[in-house]
Amino acid sequence: MYKSSKELTRRNLLKNAAVVGATVTLGTTLKPVLRAFARTGRADYEVQGEWRPTTCQGCTSWCSKQVYVVDGRAIKVRGNPNSKVNGAASCPRAHMSLQQVYDPDRVKSPMRRTNPKKGRNEDPKFVPITWDEALNTIADKIMELRKNNETHKYLLLRGRYSYMRDIIYSRMTKIIGSPNNISHSAICAEAEKFGPYYTEGEWTYRQYDILNTRYIILWGADPLAANRQVSYYMSRWGDALDRAQVAVVDPRLSATAAKASEWLPVKPGEDGALACAMAHEILVQGLWNRDFVGDFIDGTNRFAAGKTISESDFEEKYTYGLVKWWNIELKDKTPEWAAAKTGLPAEQIRRVAIGYGKAGPHAISWVARGPVMQVRGAYASLACHALNGLIGSVDNVGGTLKANKEYTQSFPSEKKFLDEIAQAGIKHKKIDHRGRLEFPALNAGKSGGGVVTNNAADGILNEDPNEIRVAIGYMNNFAFSCTQSERWFKALSKIPFSVHITTNASETTWFADIVLPSNHHMFEKWGYVKSFANGYRHVTMNQPVIKPLWDVRTDETEIPWLIAEKLAERGFDNLLRHYREYKDPETGKIPTNEKEFALYALKHATHKLWDPAEYQGGDKFNGWEDFRKTGVWNSDPYPFRKRWGSMKTKTKQFEFYSETLKEALAKHAEKHAKSIDDVLAACNYEARGEKAFVPHYEEPYMYGNKDGLVFVDYKSRLNREGRSANCLWYQELKDHDPGDEAWDDVAKINPVDAARLGVKTGDRIRLLSPTGELECTAKLWEGTRPGTIAKCYGQGHWAYGEIAASEFGKVPRGGNNNDIIPADYERLSGSSAFFGVVRVKIVKV
Amino acid sequence: MSKSNGNEISRRDFLKGGVLGGTAGIMSAVTGGPAKAQSSISGKKLAMVIDLRRCVGCGACMIACKNENNVQENVAWASRISRTVGRFPYPKYEYMPTLCNHCEKAPCVKGCPTGAMHKADGDITMHSPGKCIGCRYCITNCPYGVIHFNEEGKHRFWSNDKPLIENGTASAREVTQKARGRVLPYYNPARELSNPGTGIRRKGIVEKCTFCDHRLIKGELPYCVEACPTDARIFGDLNDPNSEVNQILSKFNSRRLKEDLGTEPKVFYVREFNQGSYEKTKGMV
Repeated sequence: MYKSSKELTRRNLLKNAAVVGATVTLGTTLKPVLRAFARTGRADYEVQGEWRPTTCQGCTSWCSKQVYVVDGRAIKVRGNPNSKVNGAASCPRAHMSLQQVYDPDRVKSPMRRTNPKKGRNEDPKFVPITWDEALNTIADKIMELRKNNETHKYLLLRGRYSYMRDIIYSRMTKIIGSPNNISHSAICAEAEKFGPYYTEGEWTYRQYDILNTRYIILWGADPLAANRQVSYYMSRWGDALDRAQVAVVDPRLSATAAKASEWLPVKPGEDGALACAMAHEILVQGLWNRDFVGDFIDGTNRFAAGKTISESDFEEKYTYGLVKWWNIELKDKTPEWAAAKTGLPAEQIRRVAIGYGKAGPHAISWVARGPVMQVRGAYASLACHALNGLIGSVDNVGGTLKANKEYTQSFPSEKKFLDEIAQAGIKHKKIDHRGRLEFPALNAGKSGGGVVTNNAADGILNEDPNEIRVAIGYMNNFAFSCTQSERWFKALSKIPFSVHITTNASETTWFADIVLPSNHHMFEKWGYVKSFANGYRHVTMNQPVIKPLWDVRTDETEIPWLIAEKLAERGFDNLLRHYREYKDPETGKIPTNEKEFALYALKHATHKLWDPAEYQGGDKFNGWEDFRKTGVWNSDPYPFRKRWGSMKTKTKQFEFYSETLKEALAKHAEKHAKSIDDVLAACNYEARGEKAFVPHYEEPYMYGNKDGLVFVDYKSRLNREGRSANCLWYQELKDHDPGDEAWDDVAKINPVDAARLGVKTGDRIRLLSPTGELECTAKLWEGTRPGTIAKCYGQGHWAYGEIAASEFGKVPRGGNNNDIIPADYERLSGSSAFFGVVRVKIVKV
Repeated sequence: MSKSNGNEISRRDFLKGGVLGGTAGIMSAVTGGPAKAQSSISGKKLAMVIDLRRCVGCGACMIACKNENNVQENVAWASRISRTVGRFPYPKYEYMPTLCNHCEKAPCVKGCPTGAMHKADGDITMHSPGKCIGCRYCITNCPYGVIHFNEEGKHRFWSNDKPLIENGTASAREVTQKARGRVLPYYNPARELSNPGTGIRRKGIVEKCTFCDHRLIKGELPYCVEACPTDARIFGDLNDPNSEVNQILSKFNSRRLKEDLGTEPKVFYVREFNQGSYEKTKGMV
């Protein structure tokens, strides 16, 4: 347990007298260390360091970075000025990476569990072992599956990744012979991609041309704090504010809302109503973009509340189905109708819609997780994104853009290395139930094309479709990051043999049999990621800029290679033979060890970026070393309006009536010999018939008693994806999330509700939901919408480290939001529902 | 890149200051005396403008400052004032970064009995740890609460000897040793350039922002300025009519903290943190 002096003086002075005493003793025994000279013989402060390029994956902005290294030590971080995406800007979380790489609580050697019992309250009693022992044990377990023709009982769980991921995630899993590579994607933001895909055919996140825009509506997006391209957007937000109006739709006053001109504190789950009313108003006011959408043939605006329109009266240009959308959904969705649903004044809805419409096409409707990672969020994703179609900002200057083209290449095919056992194994159904009637997971139009991450826990628990006997997880912490996390406690406990590749002993590690210490992605690893903003895409590399202090290996490359070697020793060499195909493109050399393999694989993947002979576009380099030293490749600038009329939808147009979605739903229904209406019912949607193919309003689906407060979960500007709570700077600066307090985890309640509940600031409270409970501190705050309770995700670790947990392995610091959020889904995308999904009861502790 | 005024400083003075500073540094390493660089900032009146419209309240300046100056936990040379005012649905979250104002008429200097707190080149309000007796008069006299007393000693967290998991994880002290850091694994030795031995300040004395004097003498901007991702902090010389700080101050009503006290702070704030546009109105009775 680590208590800061702030905590000690603030409220625990007497209680912790013993701790203080110990600390003082410890403090006084410290001799000031004032060495004047480094090992070099020169004064330390005269030693010149070097800025070395790498990549920060603290969030999914994936900024290119430089680390200042002095005498082998990393001491500072800044943005890599060579990146056209993020430039020199660095958000606060980037600096915190220093406290991650030098975190004393990093696992420094492989460990083995000695307590055979597994559970939340079972100390695993880890003991250190050698890499050889760890790898031998893992290889034996995999060989046992192969011997018994049970390779489908192998499971790979992936959390955050670099694009080296396929080596361990896809290739290794398939060659062993399992269908079960389960990624984290559906707890990330898959529902956010749903809207853009079924309107414009792009299953992807977007970039926003904020320097040329005149109006920005943010739907639960908080780009000054969290996802995506935080460093870039914060670096230019002041310039954007000089030109643009910003309206933030969010039930809590976010970091971006604090600087906006309009805050629309919508009732959770009612975003779809708001978006539909805005669309209605834009049409009634005649503010749609004629160049993109087209016009009435006679030029007379016939959009009037309650009136059906003839499709033949309107001629569309680059869109499809506007009048259908109006007739099916929009005609009655007035601002007054939405005011009753959303709890927002009709005049504000009208004002924002008109402001946005008038600013078009240089206006942005910016959709993030909040409105869409909900049980019925898919249609809010469509509705919010369709506003871009109405005003013609799609692919336009000052609007919403997709990613630029890049030229990395995939790893060699694994096909010829799949033996009979593997080929039989991969034919089994996946453990997450994707593609079943109730889990369409329509990634890019394909039934079961996406993952249902969080449902894998139920698959494991129910042995449905089969039991899992061997599991490996890396850079994931599903026991913390998935909703209704206790299901993962049970599921992970049930797996007879599991391995966790991790930097810290996290909640997920707690249930592992073998722990493999991973190096830190930003300082100690070869890899690369792709990211886009500012009209560019960059490919930036993770590089080993310092020598690790401990006996750690790279999760995605070195460890699978080492496992492959051990499997080969046991007579199964297919994986190793496959990996030996990753030759160095410069020399043609075959990798002979894990280090060479990691490097050659990266050189192969990025070959076309750095080899002048293979040049395709964007930045040009003289060769590998030139690229490595620069650290990042930038694409060509964005080609505006190139996709108008050639979108990847069924009609090639921007679809307000989605023929693309209609086809996807029909195929899924057909697969199960059911109707589309049956699919919608199974997925807990209200829509039937034609409504299923247009953006429309759905009543939010929530758990918990009606008299509870709706729980509002959100991200911290200091979160390094739930991995930074063990950093001192995280706790010290926690109040930089508006409303939060340093060294604490507060649930923010509007004073109106607090008075009713008899709660005051500083009270210890318990939040109870139908599926769990947590304890934290109450904070009265006017930035919370009455009827809701807002609490930041990130605290509540009961493992991970001495700072993150109040008592390691036992007592959390604050509470984990996922303990009280029920596991339910936006099923059309497979996403976990995090928002507008539960009402909680508050009791004083 | 966009740090044009930083480049100005460095272009103008880097060779001059840098070479001399380097020589002096090596000399001092031999003699063990302080590395007193020939200052490139003498005659200047250094000041900072903070553009609150650009500021997003992210705290990167605070972390960067702690990083650069090896500032211990729960002490902040670069700090902030933040609060939420107003009532739902019109609350306002305000954020204002703060630091030592390097006042022209610094009350902390007046009250210091030993001369530890003094005005230095560039009109910086400077503290010499060697002369400090820890009487804390400066803290009493400073109206801004930006001077800190080192009560706790050095980086309590990093002096811990106990690992979380026996043989499975390290102790904090072991990390620093293995990384060859000093107290901190990411210890920044460059902090000592202007005053060797004070990279981490001893217990029982005060400490505060020095405008990163150790960087200025090398022609580098204060690290909070360099690290601000929004370029909300602009640094320069008030004596130079063409400096960026003077240019920006000419465009906006600026304000300083507690101006009525007559301390003449040299940290200026322009524009508003909150965008605050509204439809015109006369209000109502």
